[in-house]
Amino acid sequence: MAGSYDRALTVFSPDGHLFQVEYALEAVRKGTCAVGVRGNDCVVLGVEKKSVLKLQDPRTVRKIVMLDDHVCMAFAGLNADARVLVNKARIECQSHRLTVEDPVTIEYITRYIAGVQQKYTQSGGVRPFGISTLIIGFDPNDEIPRLYQTDPSGIYSAWKANAIGRSSKTVREFLEKNYKEGLSKDETIKLTVKSLLEVVQTGAKNIEIALMTADSVIKNLEIEEVEAIVSEIEKEKEAEAEKKKKPTASTS
Amino acid sequence: MSILEYNGAAIVAMMGKNCVAIAADKRLGVQLMTVSTNFQKIFPATEKCYIGLAGLATDVQTLTERFRLKINMYKLREEREIEPRTLSHLVSTTLYEKRFSPYFVEPVIAGLDKNNQPFICGMDLIGCRDVPRDFVVSGTASESLLGMCESLWEPDLEPEDLFETISQTVLNAVDRDCLSGWGAVVHVITPERVITRNLKARMD
Amino acid sequence: MEFLIGITGKDFVLTASDTSAARSITVMKSNEDKSCDLNKHNIMLYAGEAGDTVNFAEYIQRNVRLYGIRNGIELTPKAAATFTRKELATSLRSRHPYQVFLLIAGYDITTSSPHLYWIDYLGSSAEVPFAAHGYGAYYCLSILDRYHHPNLTLDEAKGLIKKCIDELNNRFIVNLSDFKIKVTDQDGIREITI
Repeated sequence: MAGSYDRALTVFSPDGHLFQVEYALEAVRKGTCAVGVRGNDCVVLGVEKKSVLKLQDPRTVRKIVMLDDHVCMAFAGLNADARVLVNKARIECQSHRLTVEDPVTIEYITRYIAGVQQKYTQSGGVRPFGISTLIIGFDPNDEIPRLYQTDPSGIYSAWKANAIGRSSKTVREFLEKNYKEGLSKDETIKLTVKSLLEVVQTGAKNIEIALMTADSVIKNLEIEEVEAIVSEIEKEKEAEAEKKKKPTASTS
Repeated sequence: MSILEYNGAAIVAMMGKNCVAIAADKRLGVQLMTVSTNFQKIFPATEKCYIGLAGLATDVQTLTERFRLKINMYKLREEREIEPRTLSHLVSTTLYEKRFSPYFVEPVIAGLDKNNQPFICGMDLIGCRDVPRDFVVSGTASESLLGMCESLWEPDLEPEDLFETISQTVLNAVDRDCLSGWGAVVHVITPERVITRNLKARMD
Repeated sequence: MEFLIGITGKDFVLTASDTSAARSITVMKSNEDKSCDLNKHNIMLYAGEAGDTVNFAEYIQRNVRLYGIRNGIELTPKAAATFTRKELATSLRSRHPYQVFLLIAGYDITTSSPHLYWIDYLGSSAEVPFAAHGYGAYYCLSILDRYHHPNLTLDEAKGLIKKCIDELNNRFIVNLSDFKIKVTDQDGIREITI
């Protein structure tokens, strides 16, 4: 029977690549952009939302999800794959509380998610998850904001600020240039929006922002709030442009 | 004490002229302590058919859920309501599946079939069916119910007379049983409609 | 020898449980909280076989929380009670059934109404205006029968619980010294003293 053979999809290519994993990373690159930024006492997730169709209910399209009361996650890539991973992570969060009474640490749940993703690169009859994730939160009884990233191969790493998904390279370079230590709450949000605006042309209506503060309370920003920040940023940009123009005008 | 008598119940069904009636008490107890006086023991299966379950309360509730599933699945598969006679077989096989660790429940089924012919059926806890042409009883008050039925029931009762007969049967039977009573509910199923009435009873 | 009691009022449920953790004839602890918050508006009181109780209660609690975070909407008292009942009914026919007695008290925010569910280790569940578990139930149910009414205010309910506890202190051979008393209403769950 063929059933016992040819089960593994993810096998090495002669030059040591796992093509399926690389294709999964490609799916991530096609996904909408997600950004995470750590502030001094807060951490922010920002995602690029696809425009919803006229008759669609926007509340049913979610890219920022809660894993537990104190852990939040954003992802880029295949939406349907994310749902499966989110479900597994949520069960692990509750299961962890049940067995040891403590909530999960952000590193623990990241390691768990990365572990699941890795497992799907090495098991028979499955394909890797086509998603990268950004995981934010605060460890129990701790004030330090955390930001982690995982990818389809099962790699995970901690960041001060990072982006995944479409044009993530541009956004990451922007963050590298503009990130400062000890950002306040408003500055963190602003930097997140600013970096997203590098790739989101349509402005506030396609941006979703979630803010988590040291009390582990998550706050999803209203569209009006995002709009206010966007217009503020645009004003600054204009002023900047004006400034640049003036000296050139005087010399001519 | 049998586990069938742990929670207490009195259920009776009666045949009338083109109608059937089913009645049950409302007590849920733990042996002699009454916990609830509003415990449902009769459940609608279709618009013209009801199931009464007497016995261990946990199994009454578990079976209610299982029967609801099976009846709904039947309806979706067959695109018609289940007939009372078919339902009685379904209940019977469901119980017999657990022949060697049974559900401790003795069901009573009453309904009108598609030609509005009355049908009643009783069963023991492993699904042995009994389809009489007069009345059927179940629960801890079954002996006194049987006595009341024997003396009050007569053939071809009209719906309102059947209601009076079954009500008197239940109310007087549970007065001689300390594990059932505390209110009762009666359903009289006629081709046109189901008459449901809650009876006040002695609360001691 | 454990004792749980619950009373629904007009817009709240008042629950109380004794605080002694006993083993055989010895009291090992006298400030045990025999309740756990299932979610913001639902509380579960538990008694029965030591070990089974906490294990089962936490299992239910975690599953109710998981439901909340998965679906973004919390279980109602009825839903929580139905789920718990099913778990117990399944457990009953397993190799080692849980031996726990439960009261699930909750405030249904969708209909703004208080609910109380009585559940025993067999998996029998009933919605009731008032309920009690343990030997104490034999003394208290008659008192509750006499004085309970659907429009009970919180002060009346407190008085009623006090009546029940006084009766236990009078008649019951075991000395249940202290009780944890909690109110569940539209603001959530909070502990009170009477």
